[in-house]
Amino acid sequence: MSSEEMSLEQNKHQLKEWQESIAAARQENSPQTVMEMIPYAAFIGAQARIENDQLLYWLDKKPSNIGNPSLPAIHGGVIGGFLELAAAIEIIYTLDIAAVPKVVDFSLDYLRAGRYKTIYAKCQVLRQGKKLINVTASAWQDDENTPIATARCHFLI
Amino acid sequence: MAFDMTMALFRPALKYAMEKNGHGKTLGLKMTEINRGEINLVFPYKEEVVGNPLTGVVHGGVIVSLLDTACGSAAMTVLNTPAVTPTIDLRLDYMHPAEPHKPIYVEAKVYRQTANVIFCRGLAWQDDKENPIAHCVANFMKVDSKSINFSAIAITQLRRLMPWGKTTDSDKETGK
Repeated sequence: MSSEEMSLEQNKHQLKEWQESIAAARQENSPQTVMEMIPYAAFIGAQARIENDQLLYWLDKKPSNIGNPSLPAIHGGVIGGFLELAAAIEIIYTLDIAAVPKVVDFSLDYLRAGRYKTIYAKCQVLRQGKKLINVTASAWQDDENTPIATARCHFLI
Repeated sequence: MAFDMTMALFRPALKYAMEKNGHGKTLGLKMTEINRGEINLVFPYKEEVVGNPLTGVVHGGVIVSLLDTACGSAAMTVLNTPAVTPTIDLRLDYMHPAEPHKPIYVEAKVYRQTANVIFCRGLAWQDDKENPIAHCVANFMKVDSKSINFSAIAITQLRRLMPWGKTTDSDKETGK
């Protein structure tokens, strides 16, 4: 077996393991398990749970996520990263697709400053095509009806 | 080009604020160039920020943070007195995934500013700038707010280092 074939075989094996872990997470109703499979989630401290049959994501306050230390406010990039991560988890957990979705573009509107406290987020898959998925995500702190940011994201599968 | 006094003072302050605080410090980004309306920075690869555990590719969120930081900083440099420039929106196009174990270079430029809005473009690449990982456009508000107090940031940092002057979370929340 050539080294190329070997790495291909290894990829297949890894993908199979990945799919099995996700199937197990769904069985246990634990989106957090999927979250923990992505190192970036731990880096910013993102978590997920099921609430009223919908996935709810949250990001507890953490000094390493501060953007403007004099306010202090959460880094805009962290809010963006958190929403992109939430959108990806939404796809991996709720849709039955084989691979890790690839992000094509990401558009973010900042509505209010992210104060130094927990941020919540919810996502909605607006369209699932053969190749492309459109997801929106909304983030809030005190009240779901006064969002701090909204995002729109396209993924290739 | 004439010597720019404002930039000479602003450059180290901005570098300090972005590299030694909060999320910038955690990411470990380095600002390599700070000029009026133009920022260059570099991010070394980190295992902690991987988004696809099968390939080791960094998460898109990191690219968002890098471009937001670069564009936001570039927006600040066009002001005559350093002030906060809140982001209105940001749009990112991912051309291809970043390769693992390689640094990511980011450049941001202000291409237009009006009375109220600063328009920026940003680019992220690894080996070849002509073949970028991502491109972004981001717009920022010019607001009438008090200028950023860089010395206050430095003092807060110093206090954290001192065992007797630790700031608590509740301190930070009330903005004391």
